[in-house]
Amino acid sequence: MNDFFRLEGLLMQFGGLTAVNDFSILLQPGELVGLIGPNGAGKTTVFNMVTGFLNPTAGRVIWQGEDLTGTPVHKVTERGIARTFQNIRLFSDLTVLENVMVSFHQRLGTYFWEAMFSLPRYRREEHRIRAQAMDYLQELGLAHLAGEKAGGLAYGQQRRLEIARALATRPKLLLLDEPAAGMNPQETNELAQLVRKLRERHSLTIFLIEHDMKFVMGLCERIKVLDYGISIAEGTPAEIQRNPAVIKAYLGEPK
Amino acid sequence: MNNARVKLLLNLASIGLLFLILYLFSRYGTEYQIRILNNMAVFITLAVSYNLVNGICGILHLGPNAFITIGAYTSALLTMSAAEKQMTYIIVPLVWPLNVLHAPFVVSLLAGGLMATLFAFLISFPVFRVRGDYLAIVTLGFGEVIRVLANALQGVTNGPLGLKGLLPYTNLWWSWGVAVVTIIAITKLINSSHGRAMKAIREDEVAARAMGVDPFKHLLLAFLISAFFSGVAGGLLAHLITTISPTLFTFFLTFNLLIIIVVGGLGSTTGAVLGAALFAWGGEALRIVERPMDFGLFKIPGIPGMRMVIFSIILMLVIIFARRGIMGRAEFSWDWLLARLGRSEKG
Repeated sequence: MNDFFRLEGLLMQFGGLTAVNDFSILLQPGELVGLIGPNGAGKTTVFNMVTGFLNPTAGRVIWQGEDLTGTPVHKVTERGIARTFQNIRLFSDLTVLENVMVSFHQRLGTYFWEAMFSLPRYRREEHRIRAQAMDYLQELGLAHLAGEKAGGLAYGQQRRLEIARALATRPKLLLLDEPAAGMNPQETNELAQLVRKLRERHSLTIFLIEHDMKFVMGLCERIKVLDYGISIAEGTPAEIQRNPAVIKAYLGEPK
Repeated sequence: MNNARVKLLLNLASIGLLFLILYLFSRYGTEYQIRILNNMAVFITLAVSYNLVNGICGILHLGPNAFITIGAYTSALLTMSAAEKQMTYIIVPLVWPLNVLHAPFVVSLLAGGLMATLFAFLISFPVFRVRGDYLAIVTLGFGEVIRVLANALQGVTNGPLGLKGLLPYTNLWWSWGVAVVTIIAITKLINSSHGRAMKAIREDEVAARAMGVDPFKHLLLAFLISAFFSGVAGGLLAHLITTISPTLFTFFLTFNLLIIIVVGGLGSTTGAVLGAALFAWGGEALRIVERPMDFGLFKIPGIPGMRMVIFSIILMLVIIFARRGIMGRAEFSWDWLLARLGRSEKG
C-alpha cells in the first residue's frame, strides 16, 4: 500500500505566524520514525494537525488512502491513529484501570439504556473490557496499580499509563509526543525496549517526537528534522548526525 | 452466595425498609412530616439529576429551573380537567389543543419529562458550543427565558396568575418511587462505560477526545437524561404544592440545587441525596430562627429570610473547611459499610 500514511504540504498559520510550513512525509507500515527539532520548531503542531486538534491552513493528511484532513479528533482515533501527550493528560481522578477502559468506549456496542437497566449484554461487555484493559496494564507493568487514582502515580508510571491508554484504542499508527521527557537514562533505556516490543506485538507504525538524542538515534529507523516550522533534513540517524544543516540548527554556526 | 448477589439483596432490603418507613409515616405521621418527606424526595430527584451534569460531566449548568418549569406546567396542564381550565384562564383563554387534553397523572409526569427533554435537546446546540463560564451564562439565560415566557404566554401558562387548584396527586409513593428510580438509573449510568466517558470529559476533555470520546454526544446524553428526570420532578412538585406560578421557578431554585450538590459533594450521587435530604429537613427545622426570640435582656422580632442567612453561612463554612463537600466524590457502597462493620466488631 503506497498511501499508508502520508502528509502532503501541511501548512499551519496562526494569524501572521507560520508554525509549520510545507511539511510532507510518507510512512510505511511498521516503520519507526522520529521527528526532532529545537524547541518551538512546530513538532507538536504537526501531531495536532494529524489527530484533528488543529485544522491545517493548507495541505492534506492521507491515511490508508483516505483524506483525514479536518476530521474531528474522536473520528481520527476511531480510524486507528492514537497519540500520547507531551504534558501528561491523564484522567487524574479516575483509577488507572478506568483510564484505560475509557479508550474502549468508542468500540462499545451497548446503548446507554442497556446500562441504566443493567441488561445482560451490557454486563457481559463491561466484564470483557475490564479484562482486556487489565491485559494492557499487565503489558505495561501497571497491573498492580489498577485500583489507584491515576493522579497519584509516579511520573514514569504516568507516562506508561498514557501509552497503555493510547494502545487500548487499538491504533495502527501511534504518535508519541516526547515519551522520554523527564526520565532518567535507565528509564529511557527501558522505554526504548518497550517501544520496540509494542511495535512488534501490536504491529504498530510509530511516529515519535523526542528531544533525547540518544533515545531517538538508537530507536528510530528514519528521522525528520524541523526548524522554525520548516523541514531541514530527513534520513537515517547516521545521516542526520552528519548533516550540516541539522548541526547548525542545534548548535548555531561556527564563527 | 457471591458478593454481587449479597449486594443485590442488601439493596432490595434497604429499598424495602425505606418503603416500610414510608408506610408507617403514611399511616401514623402528621401531615407536616409527610409534607417534608415529599419535599425531600422531590429534591433528591432534582439534585441527583442535576449532579449528573454538574458533578459527573463537570459542566456548570445553571438552568435546571427551566426543565422543572416545563415539567411542572406540562404535567399540570394535562391533569387539570376542562372545566377547571375554563375557570382558571379568566384573562386569556387556554389555546387549543391544551384546553381539551387530559391525561392520567402518570402520563402527565412522563409528558413533563419528555417536554423538558425536548427543550434540552433544542438548547443543547448553542449550549455545548461553549464551555466554562460562558456555558454557565448561556444556560442561566435559557432558564430566565423560560421563566419570562411562563409570565408572558398567558394563553398557555395563565401568566403571573399561575395555575391553581391542582389535585394533590403527589403522595409518598409517587415522590419516593420516582426518587428511587432516578437514583438507580443514574447510578447505573454513571458506573457504566458511558459514565466513565462523561467523567473523562470532566477530567480532561482534550485527552477524552484523543481516546475516541465524542464530547458533544456524551454531554448531550447527560443533559437530556438530567432534563427528563428534572421534568418529572417538576410534575411531582406541581401536584405537591397544587399551585404553580412563574415566581416558583426563578434562578433561586437553581441556586438552592447548586447549594445542595456542592454541600453534598460535587460528583457524588450519595452526596446529592444527603444534601437534598438535609436541605428539605433543615429548611423546616431552621424555621425556629425566623420566629421572635426572647433572650430576657433583649428581644428579637421574627426575621423572615433568616433561614437563607443560615444556609449561606453553612455554604461558606463548607467551602472553607470541607472544600469537596460532605462526600467529596466518594460514593456509599456496601463494601465500605461491611468493612467498617467488620472492623468495629473486631475492635
